[in-house]
Amino acid sequence: MLLYNLRLALLSLRRNRILSAVIVGGIALGIAVSTMFATMRHAFARDPLPGRSDHLYYVRLDSWDPLSAYPSDEPNTPPTQITYQDMVGIMRSDIPARQSGMFKANLNLFPDPAIGRPRKVMTRLCFSDFFPMFDLKFKYGSGWDKKADAGPEPVVVLDQETNDLLFGGRDSVGQTVHIEDRDFKVVGVLDHWRPSVKYYDVTQSYVQPPEGIYMPFNFLRPMQINTGGNTDGWGPSPSLPGFEGRLVSEACWIQMWVELPRDRVQAYKDYLDAYALEQKKTGRFQRPLNNRVTPMMAWLRERNTVPREVTTMMIVSLLFLAVCALNLTGLLLSKFLARAPEIGVRRALGARRIDVFLQHIVECELVGMAGGALGVLLSLGGLVVLNKWGQTLAQRDDLFRFDATMLAVAVGLSLLAGLLAGVYPAWRVCRTAPAIHLKLQ
Amino acid sequence: MEIGPIVRALGRNKVRAGLIVAEIALTLAIVTNCVAMIADARGKMTHASGFDDDNIVWVRSTPFDPAFKEDGYRDNALAQDMATLRALPGVKAVSNTRFLPWQGGGSSTALKPAGGPEPLRLQIYNADEGTFASLGIAVSEGKGFTAEDTRRDTLRLRDLGKVKRTQGPDGKPVEKFQEDVVISRAFSKLAFGDASPLGKVMEDSDGDLYTVIGVIDQFYNPYGWPIHEYVAFYASSSDSFQGGSSFLLRTEPGQRDAVAKAAEETLLARNSGRTLRVRTLFDVKKQYFGPQSIVISLMGAVIVLLVLVTSLGIVGLTSFSVTERTRQIGTRRALGARRLDILTHFLLENWLLTTVALVLGCGLAVAINVGVVAAAGGTKLGPGTVAAGVGLLWIAGLLATLAPALRASRISPAIATRNV
Repeated sequence: MLLYNLRLALLSLRRNRILSAVIVGGIALGIAVSTMFATMRHAFARDPLPGRSDHLYYVRLDSWDPLSAYPSDEPNTPPTQITYQDMVGIMRSDIPARQSGMFKANLNLFPDPAIGRPRKVMTRLCFSDFFPMFDLKFKYGSGWDKKADAGPEPVVVLDQETNDLLFGGRDSVGQTVHIEDRDFKVVGVLDHWRPSVKYYDVTQSYVQPPEGIYMPFNFLRPMQINTGGNTDGWGPSPSLPGFEGRLVSEACWIQMWVELPRDRVQAYKDYLDAYALEQKKTGRFQRPLNNRVTPMMAWLRERNTVPREVTTMMIVSLLFLAVCALNLTGLLLSKFLARAPEIGVRRALGARRIDVFLQHIVECELVGMAGGALGVLLSLGGLVVLNKWGQTLAQRDDLFRFDATMLAVAVGLSLLAGLLAGVYPAWRVCRTAPAIHLKLQ
Repeated sequence: MEIGPIVRALGRNKVRAGLIVAEIALTLAIVTNCVAMIADARGKMTHASGFDDDNIVWVRSTPFDPAFKEDGYRDNALAQDMATLRALPGVKAVSNTRFLPWQGGGSSTALKPAGGPEPLRLQIYNADEGTFASLGIAVSEGKGFTAEDTRRDTLRLRDLGKVKRTQGPDGKPVEKFQEDVVISRAFSKLAFGDASPLGKVMEDSDGDLYTVIGVIDQFYNPYGWPIHEYVAFYASSSDSFQGGSSFLLRTEPGQRDAVAKAAEETLLARNSGRTLRVRTLFDVKKQYFGPQSIVISLMGAVIVLLVLVTSLGIVGLTSFSVTERTRQIGTRRALGARRLDILTHFLLENWLLTTVALVLGCGLAVAINVGVVAAAGGTKLGPGTVAAGVGLLWIAGLLATLAPALRASRISPAIATRNV
């Protein structure tokens, strides 16, 4: 029966090709626009680490100036990053299953002169826990261990693009790279990794691609590395001049992440408060206790990683689809009613109302699916254009990606649009009384 | 032409009329909200910085050659770079400063006006004798910095950074440092009201003092915090081994791309122990406004597509209505109606539907706007935007009806006699 209905639907679509093109084209535009805008929002809003993100927490400590609040949209927000001295202090805790302070720095990389001139490469200084915490996949080798953290041992992890540049994509584990004033041994190469939102560091532009090189945090001191990210500072100049002064100052420039089992979250919060109370004795932390341990997705929301325009545009695109569906209803209604004499014959020959209804619903869904397929193709084209624009935005061309979730959304929207648009016309036409139309023949 | 028969005729096909009304009403609601978003984005983009944005080139030189670690070597290299850049054809002014407009941030500090209640946050950058000229702005009150000011303050700051300053019981350095600054008019108003700020003193958290020697009228650089128009410039070159040195160049009109290319090649030829990054302010600004220009393009496309879909829908529904009423039209023609009467019948019919739809659409537009503003923030809908949307859809509705209505008017009276 379904096959028969499909054949009837195809016949009907073929009868008036221009009208069918307008009908399918209209719904295709609706699907294209709504899928494209939903994909756009999805790039910013999706959970980057499903299943793991609930256990990852971003840590903030209110070590700010007692005289004037940290300048933020909300009063009483602690600084977005923490100081070096506090990172060292709280990383003594053994409550977190994993933890890492981190920052990015723009370091000089010296490739083989045959490959090119020295260049600046964004490098992330972090602890060994960084890799398992954020579930990074390795193409070759692995991250480093706690011993390398403590040393620090001169080891690095490269991302795939940097490995392509330096070693032509070969397994470079054990090879040497020269960064700033010293040699580092490659211990791992990451698999291709380009999350749309740089979820582990949203303190600055979070659509930038991840860093090219990862280095043990403790090279900070021997190499006197300054952050390539934001620093928020207050208070009198530090008691020491130069680089060491920065490390004992109140400047906030380190991002701090911990992985906590759910039943240890409160214990960790208590630990941080105890730490702050201890610091109060030395004259620091003069504001009221205001330390935050924020789950990853809540932290991303707090940083507004989904731009409000993107949400608005998605709402607009769904309304656009609604207009296309209304349009479809009108066209299908007219088309079906024009066919009433034919239906009269079918009914007179014994077709039940439900048969006529199903026949037309199948035609509507066929229109929906055809429009959906065309719409998905159109939205893929639209995403190519969007990604080109993304290049001026974030120096990357893979910000918006069409994935299985989005395909499911597109198929769902197509079926829904076909059904909603078709129910009334199909119902109207199945109520055709056989007699009237037969008389007119 | 009588309205009565048209309304009664519409009443015979309520569903079709209802569909057209709903479609146009929803279209108006969406179009006006898209226009509001475009206006919002454009409003941000048209805020003037006050600088000669179109003719500025930014250069950053970051050394890797260890020779640059020595102050003397770096001073010489900096002087050489400045001379090289000044000598480039098409260059009007050169400055060594860390300030780069339109990058979406910069550096800030808090200064307390002497006698004032609390520290005020403002942007702060170094400047030399060429900074204001290379931004294309002028000191409108007081004076700017001379080359001698820059040299002297650079050395004083450098010495200060090398020693451990003796701290008093309050944790602040005992010996105070004094620095001259040029501030923006907006900050002057905030800190000192309408009084002339010249000679006024501000204090930082170390108790160091900043004396105002000049005011610039134009300054706007969007910042993460609401201090876009507040700034102080102090005299100093900016140059370190890790941070490198940055330059702003102002070029003759139309020369910026040529200057950008020449600057990179010439500087690298002079000293290759470094990496260079060169960008025109035009590109920096384009990147800063990337999200806004994407919103404008996308919403523009949505408006065009939506009006197209709705117009096609009107064409389709009116065509069906014409086909369905062929016999009635023939009868009317046979009874003496002119072509014009048939044409106006359909045009008037659709005009009526469009008008009802637009009235409903205005309400819907406001409702959606309120919903969107509540859910995601945004701009409130203005009456001008709604009026523009109404005008656009009125015209689109009439144009879309024209073709089927013309077809109806050409139906021959003879048709009425056939097929009965």
